[in-house]
Amino acid sequence: MSPEILEIAVFTVIAAAAATVLMLVPGVAIAWLLARRQFPGKAIVETLVSLPLVMPPVATGLLLLWLLGRRGPIGGLLERAGVEVVFTPAAVVIAMAIMGLPLLVRTARAGFEQVTHRYEQMAETLGAGPWRVFSTVTLPLASRNILAGATLGFSRALGEFGATIVVAGSIPGRTRTLAVGIFSFTEAGQDRSAAILVAISVAIAFAAVLVSNRLAGMRDA
Amino acid sequence: MRSLLLALILATSAASASAQQREVLVSAASSLTDVLQQLAVLYGQRSSDRLVLNLAASNTLARQVAAGARVDLFVSADDAQMDAVAADLIPGTRVDLLMNQLAIVVPDDRPARFTSARDLLGSGIRRIAMGDPAAVPAGVYARTYLQKAGLWETLQPKIVPVGSVRLALAAVESGAADAALVYMTDVATASRAHLAYAVPAAEGPRIVYPAAVLRTGRNPEGARRLLAFLRSAEAVAVFRRAGFGIAGGPAGQGTP
Repeated sequence: MSPEILEIAVFTVIAAAAATVLMLVPGVAIAWLLARRQFPGKAIVETLVSLPLVMPPVATGLLLLWLLGRRGPIGGLLERAGVEVVFTPAAVVIAMAIMGLPLLVRTARAGFEQVTHRYEQMAETLGAGPWRVFSTVTLPLASRNILAGATLGFSRALGEFGATIVVAGSIPGRTRTLAVGIFSFTEAGQDRSAAILVAISVAIAFAAVLVSNRLAGMRDA
Repeated sequence: MRSLLLALILATSAASASAQQREVLVSAASSLTDVLQQLAVLYGQRSSDRLVLNLAASNTLARQVAAGARVDLFVSADDAQMDAVAADLIPGTRVDLLMNQLAIVVPDDRPARFTSARDLLGSGIRRIAMGDPAAVPAGVYARTYLQKAGLWETLQPKIVPVGSVRLALAAVESGAADAALVYMTDVATASRAHLAYAVPAAEGPRIVYPAAVLRTGRNPEGARRLLAFLRSAEAVAVFRRAGFGIAGGPAGQGTP
């Protein structure tokens, strides 16, 4: 395996892991809110979070480019702060996190909904505050779902293509991921390199789905 | 019942009439987007054939043909991609159709005028978009030019390779890139890009667009007629207005 290919594979796994970390806190928070709280605009939040799942990924990428580009509202602020996002590894991570978030939220939400209220109430009667109840009762009981959701989000992030190519490009050694690399190598007629990346993708995806299924299966056991 | 039958007969005859207006599927380099869209309208008035455009980077189009796409006419932005499908061409149909030049553009909210490509070295230029120099003709030309100018190695870290010349232009228009190497003819089609430097013909590589009829197409006769139209005085006037040079010379078959 050439160093270039290895670099692409390692970068993709690291970026997808970073994206998973990035989506974890907001993802779990949103999942908990949707499972447990009634608030105005809940249906809108619910829809917005799921949107990247059904929208064309390239449309999500273009929206990100408009927002984060130098001429965009967020990108303009970032530029004044001296931060560049578009066409950098950061853009890869952001695109991956947004595409993976819906899977994490949906799976984690189901986990929170399965937690029996009585356990939480018992903890409250024993004098635990809301944060203690959440961190010692709710979260551990939903943890398997959260883990399964994170694995799904990670797998989705690994394969992200449409949004990544628009907002991060395909810069060798900087933003080229497995999916984008397969495309770029095919376009350039480097079929051998593309085939190796395909094999790596299949192996990683296989492992990720296997882990995710095991986590889901353990719930029934 | 009788009226139903009549409607059926009318429908079938209408269908056969539209079948006579045959399609010619043209795969053309993305830099030809606007000019071919104009010519497609014109051709629709002059001919009973209908021109269907498949526009993308020439390397993508060549890959499609190699994979068995049933394309009638191929117009590539360089010889390399036409050579890549040499086995699928109808012998003797390949001609050099058009010529072009390179240009450097910058976002129009940061207009600049370069005295040479060396200005790309400036600290204000952090990202330079171009077609993938490994495959996209505009990127290959751009790399050749920058190598000749002795700038390629130094500029390498700034290069953002994209899928086609039009995507490079779009990157500048959105402000995502600080400069892009495109064709002269792309500049006029842009709304938010500013011409910083027109690469003189003597400095830049020779840019030729070959065209050829493919044997894999469904309508090779239509493709021949269309190619003749694209070389007619009427089409040449449209190409010239869009800024293209007319190659019109002998086929550059097999030129490296």
